[in-house]
Amino acid sequence: MSGPRLLSGGVALRRLVQIALLTLFVGLVLAGRLTGDDQPSPWLKFYFLIDPLVLLATWLTTHTWVSLTLWSLVTVAVTVLLGRVFCGWICPFGTLHAAAGRLLYWIWPDRKRRDHWSPWQLTKYYLLIAFLVMAALGAHWVCVLDPLVLLYRSTVVALLPGVQWTLEESSKAIYDFDTRLDEAAAHAEAASEDPAGRSLAAKAPAWFRPSKLTEPPYAWIRDRLFVVQRQVFLNAGVILAIFAGLLLLNRWRPRFWCRYLCPLGALLGLLAWRPLLRRRVKDDCSHCDLCGMACHGAAGRTPGDQWKPAECFGCLNCTSSCRRGSLSFTFSLPWSKQPAVERLDVSKRAAMASIAAGLGALYLFRGTPQGRAKTYHPKLIRPPGAREEQEFLDRCLSCGLCMKVCVTGGLQPTWSEAGLEGLWTPHLVPSIGHCEYNCNLCGQVCPTEAIRPLTVEEKHVVKIGLASFDVTRCIPYAYGRECIVCEEHCPVSPKAIYCVEVESHDSSGQKKTIKQPRVDPDRCVGCGICENVCPLKDSAGIRIYSTSETRHPKNQALLREADLY
Amino acid sequence: MSIVSRREFIATSAATAGMMALRPQGVLAQQPSTDMTIARWGGQKPNDEELKDIAVKLTTQAIEGLGGMNRFVKRGDVVWIKPNIGWDRKPEQAANTNPELVATLIQMCFNAGAKTIKIGDNPCNPAIKTYENSGIAPIARKLGAKVLFLDESRYKEMAVKGELIKTHPVYPEIVECDLVINVPVLKHHRLADLTMCMKNYMGVIGERKSFHNKGIATCVADITRFMKPRLCILDAIRVLTANGPSGGKLEDVAVKGTVAAGVDIVALDAFGAEVMGKDPKAIESVKKGEETGLGKIDYRSLALKEFSVT
Repeated sequence: MSGPRLLSGGVALRRLVQIALLTLFVGLVLAGRLTGDDQPSPWLKFYFLIDPLVLLATWLTTHTWVSLTLWSLVTVAVTVLLGRVFCGWICPFGTLHAAAGRLLYWIWPDRKRRDHWSPWQLTKYYLLIAFLVMAALGAHWVCVLDPLVLLYRSTVVALLPGVQWTLEESSKAIYDFDTRLDEAAAHAEAASEDPAGRSLAAKAPAWFRPSKLTEPPYAWIRDRLFVVQRQVFLNAGVILAIFAGLLLLNRWRPRFWCRYLCPLGALLGLLAWRPLLRRRVKDDCSHCDLCGMACHGAAGRTPGDQWKPAECFGCLNCTSSCRRGSLSFTFSLPWSKQPAVERLDVSKRAAMASIAAGLGALYLFRGTPQGRAKTYHPKLIRPPGAREEQEFLDRCLSCGLCMKVCVTGGLQPTWSEAGLEGLWTPHLVPSIGHCEYNCNLCGQVCPTEAIRPLTVEEKHVVKIGLASFDVTRCIPYAYGRECIVCEEHCPVSPKAIYCVEVESHDSSGQKKTIKQPRVDPDRCVGCGICENVCPLKDSAGIRIYSTSETRHPKNQALLREADLY
Repeated sequence: MSIVSRREFIATSAATAGMMALRPQGVLAQQPSTDMTIARWGGQKPNDEELKDIAVKLTTQAIEGLGGMNRFVKRGDVVWIKPNIGWDRKPEQAANTNPELVATLIQMCFNAGAKTIKIGDNPCNPAIKTYENSGIAPIARKLGAKVLFLDESRYKEMAVKGELIKTHPVYPEIVECDLVINVPVLKHHRLADLTMCMKNYMGVIGERKSFHNKGIATCVADITRFMKPRLCILDAIRVLTANGPSGGKLEDVAVKGTVAAGVDIVALDAFGAEVMGKDPKAIESVKKGEETGLGKIDYRSLALKEFSVT
């Protein structure tokens, strides 16, 4: 059975679709600018909902799924019917790789083209096997390498703050320049009675100030694109380096990531083993290999009549590059023998080795005191609504959506706090930003409900940690002077920080009474605004520790009241 | 960073701003009329809905009693209204200035010919949330005022020349305005006892947290003198009697139904202290204000008008 030949000019259409979907991706990242009173739209997590790897991995770790992620079954159906068109047409990370490949080829055009199938492309399948074995035993790490998650995280943590930094610093430079111009003008005015002796700055009219032009658009962008001023993330350098490194690999092999590493690509490749849409080669093929040179996925081998659907992105480069028009995509029934479909030679031994590697890696992840719940990290403050640690790690993609929407910018990717298994998962760093009392956005947007969606009222009673005074630093304790900024800011009512009047002596020996703050552990929710506003900027006099967090039944210091969960 | 004195800054940043800065003494000298007005609600105990209308009436009466907004605002002026938008709380929780009061002021300023009205504060909670929940941003935008977010990187070190504070980062856009209307809400505060007009200026400066251990009363007085207050309106419609300044519990809120306006910031704060049942002389910042010549504690000795509004 042969269908009509699909348009060879489909390449133009594909690029259009790719650019549109990449733009949508960026738009959805920017739409994560929420104020805390918004009802976040489920569209914010669109790309995670259509990702079958998220669904599969979460199901393997938790044996449940979030109903919205079932949309990824559409991707599965499309892949079974049409092959890995997701990689060639939809995936924004794939689009970036295609663009990076072209750019790098434009910069270094003289490289030898080595675009043919390599058995090393099987690496991604072995990696997928290893990671799925880990997932089946509870570690959700495969999603750290999921292309959509990786791209989202890199954008939120490194790229967007980079844009923000550029805007803020450049507009500030202009603003400061103008102020200096004003000062110079003033000094020149004061110094010289002789008008001829005035500096150029003094002659410049008052309205001639570049910042008059730059300030309004800057303020517009600042107020509409970003929520947190000067937002930065921990680990941004590492995340950016990995992201840039993956793009640079396109120099060595086009779409290196998609061909060799991508776990989602591997999953879709397994689903695309006998697609309905197949490449047909007519007998008049001259074996010129133009199609092989143009192939994104290295799905064909010279001569051009062999074709691996599991590696084909459906990019249509082959059909459009063929001078004779010998290539076409046609529909065939799954069991039909023609056109021929080449199978992947996934080696049984290597697959067994991957399983062993998965088990080994699992031990590496979990074989730590913290992984075995013998110790708790004092600074691992999870967002409100986060599940008990192991359950949380079973679900968290480390996608960065919660960090994006955090109105104070306090949610930051972890490095070592949660162990290797919890790499780049969110934790609150109160010295950077506190947990806003009336905000529940992180739970509202979490695509896998690793952070439960809580109402603001429910959230008000969730403890994420407990504040504790460092009496060697806190000003009223250590230096005998008034302060209580922490008490002023405590959002709980009645306040979790209360004051005790104590008698003290100043350095001259005079008696005085000062107000010393204390924490009521029953009222404190661990939001961390006290640590954030403490005048001691380097290491606050009051700090939040993870003890008494509601989510952890065992990490309790004090007898607690009725549990939320 | 080189340090610009306030006068230098104004004189140079914009020629018009420089001229306006010299105006206040002139205006006050010409009109030795009423120094302070107090408008009290004289009717039945109102509910939340009725309180909105009452806020409008009280504010209008207080300003009119003072001689109307024309006394302070000239045609073409740029006015910064500085309410207390400190906390992410609802209007009923009385942690921020009453939105209807602010709205009335905006209306009156526009009627008096103001060209631009800017509204802004530096909240303790994220501004983007706090502005909305306080009710002030939506109503101000509707009336055509510019609701501005203060930019962390735009503060400038200015010569405050105070007793404790010699220089301090201040938000230049506020200093550049022709008139700053100080509109605080009367609230309980553990360290300063009460937060009123003088302390409201802490919302326009950069490093306010360090004030708390330097001697908050002196610091507040220093900044107040630097800001040269010309018109203050004290919102005592709803007051927070405990757990301030952030509040949160409705039980701590008392309805006093009072708006006071005046040109003497110390007198207004002294009045505020009395509303809260405290001796003004026992409030450090008020005492300090009088000592340093910012105004008089004995507000009854001023040209005072009291109104009962029904």
